[in-house]
Amino acid sequence: MQGGSSGIGYGLKYQARCIADVKADTDHTSFITGTLSLKEENEVHLIRLSSGGTELICEGLFSHPNEIWDLASCPYDQRIFSTVFSSGESYGAAVWQIPELYGQLNSPQLERIAVLDAHACKIKCVLWWPSGRHDKLVSIDDENLFLWSLDSSRKASQVISKESAGMLHYLSGGAWDPHDVNAVASTCEWSIQFWDLRTMKKTNSIEHAHVRNADYDTKKKHILVTAEDESGICIWDLRMPKVPIKELPGHTHWTWTVKCNPEYGLILVLSLSLTYTQTLIYEIWKTRYLYSSSGLA
Amino acid sequence: MAADDIPLDDKAKRMRDLLSSFYAPDPSTASNTSSKYVSLDAINTTSFDADQYMILLAQKSNLEGLLQRHVEMAAEIKNLDTDLQMLVYENYNKFISATETIKRMKNNIVGMEANMEQLLEKIMSVQSRSDGVNTSLFEKREHIEKLHRTRNLLRKVQFIYDLPTRLGKCIKSEAYADAVRFYTGAMPIFEAYGDSSFQDCKRASEEAMSIIIKNLQEKVCLDSESVQVRAEAVVLLKQLNFQVDSLKAKLLETLEKYLITLQLNSRAISTTSLDSDEPSKQGSSSDALPGTAHEAVHAYRLIFPDSEDQLIKLAQDLVTKHFESTQQQIRKQISSSDLVGILRVIWTDVLLMEEVLPEAALSDFSLEAAHVAVKQYVASTFSNLLLNVSDALTKVQTKQKEGAGEEHPLQVSLEGSKKAVIQGSMAILLDFRQLLDDNLGLLVKLRDFIIDWVQEGFQDFFRRLDDQFLSLSGKNHSISEHQGLTEGTQGEKFLAGLVLVLAQLSVFIEQSAIPRITEEIAASFSGGGVRGYENGPAFVPGEICRIFRSAGEKFLHLYINMRTQKISVLLRKRFTTPNWVKHKEPREVHMFVDLFLQELEAIGTEVKQILPQGLHRKHHRTDSNGSTTSSRSNPLRDDKITRSNTQRARSQLLESHLAKLFKQKMEIFTKVEYTQESVVTTVVKLCLKSLHEFVRLQTFNRSGLQQIQLDIQFLRAPLKEIVEDEAAIDFLLDEVIVSAAERCLDPIPLEPPILDKLIQAKLAKTKEQTAVSS
Repeated sequence: MQGGSSGIGYGLKYQARCIADVKADTDHTSFITGTLSLKEENEVHLIRLSSGGTELICEGLFSHPNEIWDLASCPYDQRIFSTVFSSGESYGAAVWQIPELYGQLNSPQLERIAVLDAHACKIKCVLWWPSGRHDKLVSIDDENLFLWSLDSSRKASQVISKESAGMLHYLSGGAWDPHDVNAVASTCEWSIQFWDLRTMKKTNSIEHAHVRNADYDTKKKHILVTAEDESGICIWDLRMPKVPIKELPGHTHWTWTVKCNPEYGLILVLSLSLTYTQTLIYEIWKTRYLYSSSGLA
Repeated sequence: MAADDIPLDDKAKRMRDLLSSFYAPDPSTASNTSSKYVSLDAINTTSFDADQYMILLAQKSNLEGLLQRHVEMAAEIKNLDTDLQMLVYENYNKFISATETIKRMKNNIVGMEANMEQLLEKIMSVQSRSDGVNTSLFEKREHIEKLHRTRNLLRKVQFIYDLPTRLGKCIKSEAYADAVRFYTGAMPIFEAYGDSSFQDCKRASEEAMSIIIKNLQEKVCLDSESVQVRAEAVVLLKQLNFQVDSLKAKLLETLEKYLITLQLNSRAISTTSLDSDEPSKQGSSSDALPGTAHEAVHAYRLIFPDSEDQLIKLAQDLVTKHFESTQQQIRKQISSSDLVGILRVIWTDVLLMEEVLPEAALSDFSLEAAHVAVKQYVASTFSNLLLNVSDALTKVQTKQKEGAGEEHPLQVSLEGSKKAVIQGSMAILLDFRQLLDDNLGLLVKLRDFIIDWVQEGFQDFFRRLDDQFLSLSGKNHSISEHQGLTEGTQGEKFLAGLVLVLAQLSVFIEQSAIPRITEEIAASFSGGGVRGYENGPAFVPGEICRIFRSAGEKFLHLYINMRTQKISVLLRKRFTTPNWVKHKEPREVHMFVDLFLQELEAIGTEVKQILPQGLHRKHHRTDSNGSTTSSRSNPLRDDKITRSNTQRARSQLLESHLAKLFKQKMEIFTKVEYTQESVVTTVVKLCLKSLHEFVRLQTFNRSGLQQIQLDIQFLRAPLKEIVEDEAAIDFLLDEVIVSAAERCLDPIPLEPPILDKLIQAKLAKTKEQTAVSS
């Protein structure tokens, strides 16, 4: 909570569950976020940090047909992003494109490029190829892992391969390794699983309870950060998967999201547990400290 | 006058010159001056000029004077004449007597030659006679001399021939010193003629000598002989050029064996005394021990005076072995009084040895060894304590597994481990006090070290205890996984309890044990000083307190986390399994509520065993008297139900939002205290929060919402019963319902009468079940 004192705020109309940075926008620091409202009309906001860094400006406001549970920005085209949405009973995932000249239109509509419609159960998240112009996507639902090929110009998507996580594994999220583009980590109730996308086979797993979210350190190889339901954040060295190299206490309750800062090697932890109209950057951990204390530096 | 008148011839002149030179003091001056200074007195000088004198006299004196002078002179001349006459006469007399003597001598000498010749003749004859005697005696004398020599030789030969018998006699009378003297005396002869003339004799005496040597050796080796006798025997053997070294080595070996047996005995004695617990017996037997050892060494030293090196080595070996056995004893967990006993035995031994063998520096040597031994003792004592404490902690767990469960296993475990910590520490301190209080020289020298070791020991002990706690608590992942896999739910359940015990034990150590130990240490273990001032005292109670304070909090949180996680699994199953969008109408309270309450009850029993009651408890009890009545007729709750019932979804949402903004101020996650209520409340809060989050992840239809509403409503009463912060629980439960309504496609809550009816049905059912089971 102390982190919020010097932060910049931006208000959404409804509660939101997800925010993503627009990596493809190299000129500005931009974010994209979507609201989660069961009964109201949901929106996607494109936010930009003002040049002075003192203000968050709404660059675009688009209506989205359903409540958004997950959102990810395309790493090579700033106008493309993916959402996972729910209409109460059913779940879906789609790739959207923000129309050109959206600032001049009165009520711009998002353009749906592709629908990731092979899922039978609750979709959890969509992952983009970590960097560069690659047309690959990974989508994760409760039980399965799908690798998609996306053709944005032809507005079509195709399942390349699919693998089931196995019985009684309820996947909850995942992360694509920026250092090894064939590796994807998925989190589930009792473990973190690692997949090789070429064979679609499980390569490794970490037995750890109630992992909700994970992210790779963009600077350091083999480093993974996880967030758990019961207030835990762990940093793992994948070469030593038995025990976390560091446990970060301090959260009183659920941690929903962890993100590594791509530039400075810091870990941002988003904890959405207390209120849901705001996202709180709960604490920022200096990774330098962490590495030195864990002997990896 | 004659001199004047008569011309003087040469002879006369020489006479006169001689006379005048005889009488005149200075003839030259007289003659020189005579011509010039002529006086009347110059009549007696050599240069006297009679004419001049006459003239001078005539000139100077008158007639009378001349006459007088003439008379005087005439008298003088007369006198002189008579004197001369007298002298001549006397001279003549002397000549005569001389001539006479010569004449007499001449007469005497005439018969002498004949006598002399006679004498010579006689002497010649004497000489010839004596020569004759000499030659006649010479042969006999030579013979006698030869005989004498032969006799001496014969005596020696006799001695040598007698040697064997003599040696035999010596052997009989044990006069070995004489025998050796005889033999060494005869040695040169044997060496010279042993091969030829005295062969038999040599052989016989050598045989005798070999017997003697054997006897001597026996004597040396015989412990019953007195030391002096043995030392003499060694000297004799050395004189006989016997190789003493082998004997020495042999003896050393026996000495070594002897010492080892001694030591074995002492060990045996000490062990038996340990077994029989009779320190007095040990004392008496140990007193007898060291004397013998040091006497043996002393004797050996006397026997072989040049054997320090070996003895030093031997003595050091002995001490080393002593300490080795001591260390073995230490490994067997002996008490400090026993250790002191053993050390005393060793130390007296060492002191006695030191007297006998000052070169060995045994006291320093043994001091070093004792240094190691005592240090090891301190260390082993602490590790034993550690073992005892963890035993006390885990004992109950193993008992539980065997099926012989007690009613309050956690309480037993806590009390047991508390006792183990405090009594164990006190016992250790008492033990070490004995070490310190003893005035044994060895221990006095080590005093400072011991103090430091004890302090360091405690510091280290508590650190290790903390580590031990951590590993027991399963913070070490491999262990927890292992246990989780092998022991299943029972093990996990107990592990949580153990963590709680550890939490409370940490608090106990921090608040009671450390201050007491600090006090005790300050009282009797202060001022080690070996470490130096810059390092400060080895035992830092502040640091240990800090460690255990944080450990206690950590364990308490860990306990809460473990418990919460378990319930969280339950909740997760409840919320992820059904399809909430197609939920059927609620018919009864869902069974997960029962499971939830059961878990809470289990936590309650665990917590009640370990933690003290909070202060607010009573107050709450009086507020709500009786569980059944309160669940039915709490006016506050009824009010809430009616409110939630009457208000429609939209306005209710808005209102709850607004209400929340104000309510948000309430601290939901307060600091956990070491009380039953605080822990239970925290667990309940965390679980409700999780429940809330799970609800937020779902989408409900109307029936789903109503089911949630029903379950939550049912939970309200029993939860309030066990927690201390009712407002927070109310808030959280409301939050769940509000969230469910938000996530509901058709948020119409259940009518209160139906709600009440269903709850009543559930209550009746549980009552029935308890009645059946009891």
